[in-house]
Amino acid sequence: MSRTRIIIDTDPGVDDAAAILLALASPEIEVLGITAVAGNVPLTATLANACRIVALSGRTEVPVMAGAEGPLLREQVYGKYAAIGAFPEHLVGSGGVTPAPEHAAAFIARTARAAAEAGTPITLCAIGPLTNIALALRLHPDVARGIARIVCMGGAFTALGHRVPWAEFNVFADPHAAGIVFGSGVPLVLFPLDVTMQALFTADHVAALRDGGSAGGRALAALLTEYDRSDPARYGRPGGPLHDAMTVAWLIAPDLFTGRPARVGVQEGGTTPGHTWADFTDPSAAATVMSQVDEAGYIALVVDRIAARAPAAQKETTA
Amino acid sequence: MTRPTPVIYDCDPGIDDAIALLGAFVSPELDIRAITPVCGNQPLDRTLRNALQICELGGRDDIPVHAGCHRPLCREPIHGQFHGATGLGNTVLPAPRKQAEATGAVACLADHLGRAARGEGDRITLCCLGPLTNIAMALRMYPEIAGGIERIVMMGGAFREPGNRTLTSEFNMLADPHAAQIVFAAGLPMTVLGLDATHQVMLRPEHVTQFAQSSGRIARTVAELMAFWDRNDAARYGSRGGPLHDPLVTAWMLRPDLFESRPARVFVETESPLCLGQTVADWYGKTGGAQNARIVTRVDAAGVIDLYVGLMSRYRERGAA
Repeated sequence: MSRTRIIIDTDPGVDDAAAILLALASPEIEVLGITAVAGNVPLTATLANACRIVALSGRTEVPVMAGAEGPLLREQVYGKYAAIGAFPEHLVGSGGVTPAPEHAAAFIARTARAAAEAGTPITLCAIGPLTNIALALRLHPDVARGIARIVCMGGAFTALGHRVPWAEFNVFADPHAAGIVFGSGVPLVLFPLDVTMQALFTADHVAALRDGGSAGGRALAALLTEYDRSDPARYGRPGGPLHDAMTVAWLIAPDLFTGRPARVGVQEGGTTPGHTWADFTDPSAAATVMSQVDEAGYIALVVDRIAARAPAAQKETTA
Repeated sequence: MTRPTPVIYDCDPGIDDAIALLGAFVSPELDIRAITPVCGNQPLDRTLRNALQICELGGRDDIPVHAGCHRPLCREPIHGQFHGATGLGNTVLPAPRKQAEATGAVACLADHLGRAARGEGDRITLCCLGPLTNIAMALRMYPEIAGGIERIVMMGGAFREPGNRTLTSEFNMLADPHAAQIVFAAGLPMTVLGLDATHQVMLRPEHVTQFAQSSGRIARTVAELMAFWDRNDAARYGSRGGPLHDPLVTAWMLRPDLFESRPARVFVETESPLCLGQTVADWYGKTGGAQNARIVTRVDAAGVIDLYVGLMSRYRERGAA
């Protein structure tokens, strides 16, 4: 089986942690590197968290790199759960993984250019503000050719008001970077809040993560317990979303999702920075906007993969 | 003689870039560590090729040239209007033998400036003649390099003078207003040679004649480049000729006494369709923020022309490259 080669660009973040753990636990995916960006929390914390999550997974051969410490132009904003900062050691351990020295954008650019040259373009899982990827796209014209698709958690079309009334956080945090990525010509698979909020993880799911036998499952359960994302007033029932993990789940099991082609854009400035729009009637659409998820199927995939003890054979194939 | 000043030329040649570089090449006061062409007056493949050709013309193929960014950060690329189809007017130079370095401009800036910031190398003055994309990219990727920058001396902007490419905006700022805003907001020492300064120094036909007689082995090329530069628009500029934009950067490096400047805080408009790329100066501290630039307000034009006649005459003393 040929594995999907991905770079995860991320700002962990609890739901980022779920996405990273899911990818590292899945034989369908080869994680070439994990690149941290400032977003939910400052870069020092997203970098430390990324390292700790990789350590938990046991996949310490996967390089972690630091990227942009702030957005291209706008003033810095952090996520709704910014108070979390670096994950506490008593929940996730301290790991022993240290970052590689290369800048995240330089790593993305170098990997994509090599992939373009080899004719084997890679996939980017973009689950934070898009600053690193925007910088990489501007470093060399071949970078875009080496990226088969960008699977991005970002935007909102009807499910607004999560961070500000007009925008989803990842796009709001660096709208200029989002504009660069959306306009790059690279096929975009977008997971807006409209779909990510359809799948809610409840206390039962958290218990299943905790009790499955893996260190990653236990740590994710501890994070989800410590920082409860349940919001019945908003979602109409108990449970909280794990937005970012959908990008990885789609790579593993695309049949769980329904999307529509669209041309998408972003408002970079003005009074509604980060507002995303989608034209679902444009025949030249370069993006797919996800609209529906099989909730039970998605949750089962995330819980089963992350909670399962990693089989020894799988580790060897990644060496 | 005092130690030469380490500089990197970030540029988009460009006729006036070519003159600025040819002047710098024969200045022992300057230690040119690298040239980093960027998309600007022409697309990157042209500005890169032109930079390599100008190095060879000037007999300075020892200077490393690193290809910069292929397009502006956010806006679509625009190119210059007064540089002809190749960027060097009607001048045809031999195909370059010299090659660009394998590493790009952003990596080059990160390397030189990073070492300087860590105290392992000289702090470097950035001589910026084009859109500021390379500098902005380097500052965003490697913010720690700011400590390795001695000063930014740049051609760009229009303050009390109106714009040249649009009503409000000078070309380098308009070509990448987001990059310009990033650089001005970085809080670095900056000297800004905007249209207020460059329109004071017209390269008139009689000057071109003078350069044609004094520039030794490169006289024909210099005269050809300069003749192409003539805007032939006395109503606009007060005389025949073309404003000597980019060469003022080299001139300021060599003879800052020929210039007067005033401190200000500069902002760049990045949103307005009408005023995109406009540089707005707070001269009187009305915004309450720190001053981030010295804006050149007066130039001794005759002094600058004399300086360049002297520089170009050094090509008489140099054999063919």
